[in-house]
Amino acid sequence: MAELMSRSEFRVALEAAFSGTMAKDASFSRAWATGKLHKQHFVHWATNHYHYIGPFGDYLGLMYANTPDHARDAKDFLLQNMYEEELSDDRHTDLLIRFAEACGGTREYVQNRDNAMPFAKGMQGWMYYVSGRENFVVSSAALIVGLESQVPSIYRTQYPTLINKYGFSEWEAEFFDLHITSDEIHGERGYQIVLKYADTPELQQRCLHFVREAADMRFAYTKALYENYVMPDLGPWVEEDEREPALVG
Amino acid sequence: MPRIYFKTADAHVDFAEGEEVNVLRMAIREDIDVPWQCASGNCGTDRLVVEEGAENLDPPRRRERARLGELVDKGYRLACQTYTRGDVTFSWDPDQVGLDDEPGTSSGGSRAGWAGSG
Ligand code: FES
Repeated sequence: MAELMSRSEFRVALEAAFSGTMAKDASFSRAWATGKLHKQHFVHWATNHYHYIGPFGDYLGLMYANTPDHARDAKDFLLQNMYEEELSDDRHTDLLIRFAEACGGTREYVQNRDNAMPFAKGMQGWMYYVSGRENFVVSSAALIVGLESQVPSIYRTQYPTLINKYGFSEWEAEFFDLHITSDEIHGERGYQIVLKYADTPELQQRCLHFVREAADMRFAYTKALYENYVMPDLGPWVEEDEREPALVG
Repeated sequence: MPRIYFKTADAHVDFAEGEEVNVLRMAIREDIDVPWQCASGNCGTDRLVVEEGAENLDPPRRRERARLGELVDKGYRLACQTYTRGDVTFSWDPDQVGLDDEPGTSSGGSRAGWAGSG
């Protein structure tokens, strides 16, 4: 049977749990970061992303309700995270729609659930399940450590490309800029909550299980974006240094 | 190993060579008492003076420039918006509040009193 890990051992284990399947390494993310995508691909991305993260306030609300009163710092963190998603500044989903509009999409198209892949709906269902049914420590590990804390590493590669290669203005790409930094802090605070409240070997193991599952879910979702929308235009993804010289660029 | 020295708290954080790390994240991770509120470049509570190592920081992006205005030219950075890839030293006023909450400023858009973490 697993033993209770120290905070530092548990942190290393959490980091290892998603490092093999980070979404920043999926084909869609790689095509994005290397400047291969067209604006229409971004509209599809934004539409699917809307249906995956649009209800983030709902997920956090469910987690809030599942968090006991004695974990007041965890409750406050969830409430603050919810507030930042929805009210503190521009609503985050509005920034996402602003980006889609800059790519030629419309609010109506993005918000129409029929335009999202089954994978995006599956991702949404998984988020509702974990936030509603799992212990708050486990859902924090899954959604905040496993997913939200990955965001800065993804967008830090993608944001400069959006500005320098695809020619978006900083205003149009604000969704990404905002998440690079705010999710650093949400991610870190998520770690603090999980490290503090996962205080039995069983809880620690369940957290690790769901961090792995979260990383697998997001990786598969990101890969599906490529297969559904980009592959018909660009073919299967091949890394630049593996391409035939004639295909480079 | 590169080091962030938080001079006002007399505390430091080391990180691996070749990494780029967010300054506020490292402070929170190590429980160092840097004031902050929103983590989104809105409030300015986490403005730090760069005493050394400015060349190791990434340049300020739109939100940070908009929030700090001329303070950028006076050597300030927002901890939540700043990444470093090498040694850097920061100081700050331990009692500082958000830029809109400074005496004599209007409180438009401020979230003071709501998000008390940090
Ligand atoms: S914490 Fe508010 S601007 Fe950085």
